[in-house]
Amino acid sequence: MPKRALPSLTHLQFLVLGVLRADEQPGRVLREALASHGVRRSGPAFYQLMARLERANLVEGWYEQVTVGDQAVTERRYRITAEGARRWARAKSFYDEVSALSSAVRWSDA
Amino acid sequence: MPRTWVERLGDWLPEKARRDLFVPSLADLTYERLVRERTSCSALARVRVRLWHASAALMLLAGCLRLHAVDRVRARISRPARAADPPRKELIVMFARDVRHALRMFRREPAFTAAAVVTLMLGIGVNTALFAVVEAVLLRPLPFGDAERLVLVKHRDVATGLSKQDIAIGDFIDLAARQQSFDALGGYGGFASTLTGAGEAVRIEGVALTPEAFALLGVQPAMGRFFTADDVAEGAPPVVVVSNELWRTQLGSDPQILTRSIQLGTTRRMVVGVAPPGFRFPLANPTNVIVPARVPPAAPANRKASWVYGVGRLKPGVGIEQAEAEFAALSQQFEQEFPQQNHGSLYYTESLRDGLVGEAKRPLLMLLAAVGFVLLIACVNVGNLLLARSLARQHELATRLALGAGRGRLVAQILTEALVLALAGGVAGVFVAWRLGPALAAMVPQAERIPGLDSVGLNVWVLAFSLGVSLVAALGFGAVASIGLVRESARHALAGQRRTTMTTGARRAASSLVAAEIALATVLLIGAGLTLRSFANLISVDPGFTADGVLTVQVLLPPGRYPEQAARSAAYQRLFEAIDALPEVETAGAAAVTPLTGNNWTAALVRPEQPLAAGERPPEVGWQSASAGYFRALGIPLREGRLFNAGDTIDGPPVVIVSDAIAQRFFPGQSPVGKRIVLGDDTAEIVGRVGDIRRASLSDAPRGDLYFPFERTNGPGTTMFLRTAGDPLAALPSIRTTIRRIEPDATLFETRTMADIAAASAAVSRLAMRLLAGFALIALVLAAVGIYGVMAYSVRRRGRELGTRLALGASRADIVGLVMRQAATVAIAGLVVGVVTGLSVARALSSMLYGVPPWDPLALGTACLVLTATALGASYLPARQAARVDPVSTLAAE
Repeated sequence: MPKRALPSLTHLQFLVLGVLRADEQPGRVLREALASHGVRRSGPAFYQLMARLERANLVEGWYEQVTVGDQAVTERRYRITAEGARRWARAKSFYDEVSALSSAVRWSDA
Repeated sequence: MPRTWVERLGDWLPEKARRDLFVPSLADLTYERLVRERTSCSALARVRVRLWHASAALMLLAGCLRLHAVDRVRARISRPARAADPPRKELIVMFARDVRHALRMFRREPAFTAAAVVTLMLGIGVNTALFAVVEAVLLRPLPFGDAERLVLVKHRDVATGLSKQDIAIGDFIDLAARQQSFDALGGYGGFASTLTGAGEAVRIEGVALTPEAFALLGVQPAMGRFFTADDVAEGAPPVVVVSNELWRTQLGSDPQILTRSIQLGTTRRMVVGVAPPGFRFPLANPTNVIVPARVPPAAPANRKASWVYGVGRLKPGVGIEQAEAEFAALSQQFEQEFPQQNHGSLYYTESLRDGLVGEAKRPLLMLLAAVGFVLLIACVNVGNLLLARSLARQHELATRLALGAGRGRLVAQILTEALVLALAGGVAGVFVAWRLGPALAAMVPQAERIPGLDSVGLNVWVLAFSLGVSLVAALGFGAVASIGLVRESARHALAGQRRTTMTTGARRAASSLVAAEIALATVLLIGAGLTLRSFANLISVDPGFTADGVLTVQVLLPPGRYPEQAARSAAYQRLFEAIDALPEVETAGAAAVTPLTGNNWTAALVRPEQPLAAGERPPEVGWQSASAGYFRALGIPLREGRLFNAGDTIDGPPVVIVSDAIAQRFFPGQSPVGKRIVLGDDTAEIVGRVGDIRRASLSDAPRGDLYFPFERTNGPGTTMFLRTAGDPLAALPSIRTTIRRIEPDATLFETRTMADIAAASAAVSRLAMRLLAGFALIALVLAAVGIYGVMAYSVRRRGRELGTRLALGASRADIVGLVMRQAATVAIAGLVVGVVTGLSVARALSSMLYGVPPWDPLALGTACLVLTATALGASYLPARQAARVDPVSTLAAE
């Protein structure tokens, strides 16, 4: 079996990039997605995570105006970069391989 | 778009934290606030959302700071330490050092410390106490599921502006069927009976609820079940849900209660459930039992055949304004479909909390604002004390500046001292509030009818409020004390000398503070003066009857014993005759409605010679059922004709009595006696005219009342009005014995003197007057202390100047005049600002005032006079002290 490097993404980063792979999202929705996986982060803690992803060039962020009723709010939106997609795919294939390996072991045990 | 205070606070954050963490987080928070506001159905709910948003924004700021600090610490750990780095815990160490320094200083100046702490204790104490009341009454969640969506349905007569909760049964059924804004609309009504067979017979109060009403309250039974549609079906066996308290006391906590039945009045009811502990609905009333209320499936032709109260649960996302608009539209529909019965009828909604808290909300918020003024005055006073003290320390501060301390360092130290003082005052204030809060709640009239008032006390919210107030106060007077001080100190440091007179800036700052204090005290005094005048007007109002010496007793005849009107009349007659024969009682009567208790029941008045046009709704006048003894007992004068007599029974011809206002309105220039009015299919003869009375409350202008003979309209329960020879309550034992002798199974309850009822009618006004007067007095004392302190300090600091003046030939009177003029100038400036502010505050008070305009010259003049006298009195002592300065020794000392 060839030697593989461990993924460079944390679970949280993997989760955020995974959500962003489908479509660009506002930070608010990303936080909800995290919460649905049991990860509850305060606003500042979440955006600190996103700022680090931006600095690592894994996501790209910008501000966009949305309206609630007759009031406008400028919220931050994110999309995954090519580098982010590549790193996520690498991590994904690592997890897939590990998972295939473990099921193969169980199969042979059986 | 204007920037919010949170955004402005965010500007203080380090740029990286602001840009990366704060701005996007705040956007999310704003988004959530807007969504929540859109789904809030009441103004109170929106206020709550705002409060939530404000606290969340502050948490957000704190979170950003924390993360930024952690980030920096990590960054520092990961790089080699540099010699120039300040110690990591420098801030904390510095703060602890400042606190220790402050405590040392305060120990050295016990008089100053005591004055500041006592002042703050008063300010924070009264604020915390009143907030404890406000928290219990206005902010604590109601004990129903999602209570913010519960609303009461109410009715307003557009012509008279009178509101009541009673809804005509026909309208209720159609409202429930046609409305779209509510998950469901339920009906309820009062229920009273006698529980027998479980020990001694006891009077039971409760509520009749439709199954829908029970379901929409969102509570779960402690045992068994609540009502279903089967319980209100035709011929269904009578059932009851008992309160947890009744189950525990009268029913002996019987675990088999669900297999038992209880006797309520003439009906035996199967117990199907036990309500959760503390369940009350409406919250103002004791709820011993809940019985099912039946509402017909379709509206009857006579839409006012009976009356019901309505409660509804708003659908998610529907606001109360939306429901109100829908009810207005439905009211119009009803007017078009049933013009004769519904003309001028408007149905509207009111949130359950507003409905329950009712009249108490406005005075509470007003008093909270008043104590806010007291706190401001306290802050200004302590700020002045700190300023005066800091000026005395100018030399020390100047030296520290000269030795290289930063200005920020000095301000931090002054603020730390302020914080220590404020926290000490806050802790003392909490003790004041601990005793004062429940005492304030006990002063509220009919406190048992306002939910929450029985549990006023300290809790985490009240303590948090107290802490918040202390911190704000510390910031407030700390900032006051810092103003100009550091700048002045710096100048002295450079000049290298010590000044012995106050600088212009410091004097101006101190004078402005005193002027502000006088302005605030003026506002409170104007408010107190207005409520005092209003109360005096209210209690001197003639209610149209004599309340003194009258006892009211509610009597309930044994259930089922007198089903016929004639039998009931005979039973009451026996009671009246027996009580009349007592030497303590001069005359006895009975009536359905007790005056001055807010009752607005009305009856339609139509004259046969002036039939209504098609679609015209008859005018309404006050309804009352009374015996002749009622008029005699209350001293309501008979103007002409006669009172009711023994012949006015159900078998005799229908008769009525009218009051003056009806005679003037419907029979101008002629006698109403002998005229007839329409009464259903028949007509009734007016046999007498009596004087008008103030019906619902003392502030309620007299309206016409239509009296029906008690002998024709009485029910199993009534209120007796007994004029006694001496003290009404002293006559009670013999009255009770007499009633028991004639009718052993009669239940007597709610015994009150008419004078007490009249006093209760003015109770809200009396309470507002007392509290405002109390707060104004505190404000006045604090202002006097403040003026005295500043003037005394000013005189001490100006010793050299005054000594020079005396040496140059000024007389003692000149010096007194000089100091007094200075005080008068400050007082006048404060008065002008105070009167202008007071006038606009008084306008907000106007709905609570009776017979006195908000610009009442007497109240304004008195407030100005009292404050001027206080200001001059407080500055006279320092002025005399100034005049006693010995020029030789003062100049020599310099």
